[in-house]
Amino acid sequence: MPDNEWDEMLAAAAAEVLETMFFTGVYGPAQAGAYPAEPYVSARVGFEGTPSGTLTLSVSETAAGTLAANFLAPEDDGPLPAAQLGGVVCELANMICGTLLSHVKAEEQFRLCSPELLLERAACAPPPNQSLSLGDGPEDGTIDFWLDLEHHAN
Amino acid sequence: MAFRVLIVDDSPVMRAFIRRIIVLSGIEGAEFLEAADGREALNLLRSQWVDVVLTDINMPLMDGEQLVRCLEADDVLKSVPVVVVSTDGTESRMHQMLSLGARGYVKKPFMPETLRQELERVLGGAYAR
Repeated sequence: MPDNEWDEMLAAAAAEVLETMFFTGVYGPAQAGAYPAEPYVSARVGFEGTPSGTLTLSVSETAAGTLAANFLAPEDDGPLPAAQLGGVVCELANMICGTLLSHVKAEEQFRLCSPELLLERAACAPPPNQSLSLGDGPEDGTIDFWLDLEHHAN
Repeated sequence: MAFRVLIVDDSPVMRAFIRRIIVLSGIEGAEFLEAADGREALNLLRSQWVDVVLTDINMPLMDGEQLVRCLEADDVLKSVPVVVVSTDGTESRMHQMLSLGARGYVKKPFMPETLRQELERVLGGAYAR
């Protein structure tokens, strides 16, 4: 499958998960280079099957706070503990990856690994496959995605 | 009528989300127990009555598939209905879990109404009491 099809399916999977489980719409792709100077919460989930690979997410702290609040609906208005933010971002990665793979090949049985929280923004790396904005501008929060396929034959 | 739900998932935030969604969906009378993996779930099930188990598949120590196998092999516990709640939405996985003995399968992401309908279907008369 061509890379652009993977990217389209990734964006669709992310939108489905964000809307259904996080009650959050996606406003569109984030502007490249327009990232606010804020910390990111990053998580990675590996999968085995045909193909195998990893999906990595870096979620701006603003977006992570919004998503965690929507997901958990805490009774207090204060900021959520870092452990809960991390847990929510791990679940987000897990569900987007599962949704993506379910759409790729319904007849294949993939095995998803447990998501792992990363200590820094995944980004040192190549440009992300997808960057989504949760609002009109980057100040509303952004999510970057990297999809790394190990056995990917176009 | 109160009923008791055991939520089995290694993610504390997912357990909290499922609790919230069950309440949000309008089901009344739910009491919640939680376990982080299949072994913990089995220990709870052997000591406390549970009306329905909602379990993830991918967990450490004992995964959801092993949990369903263990319940099916137990003369007492096999009567407890199990609904799988998983990110794995492939047809083969769903068929596998249902053929092992799971009574229902909810693929994440799911709408609150989907979980409600599945719980009502599985609990049937017990919930309607």
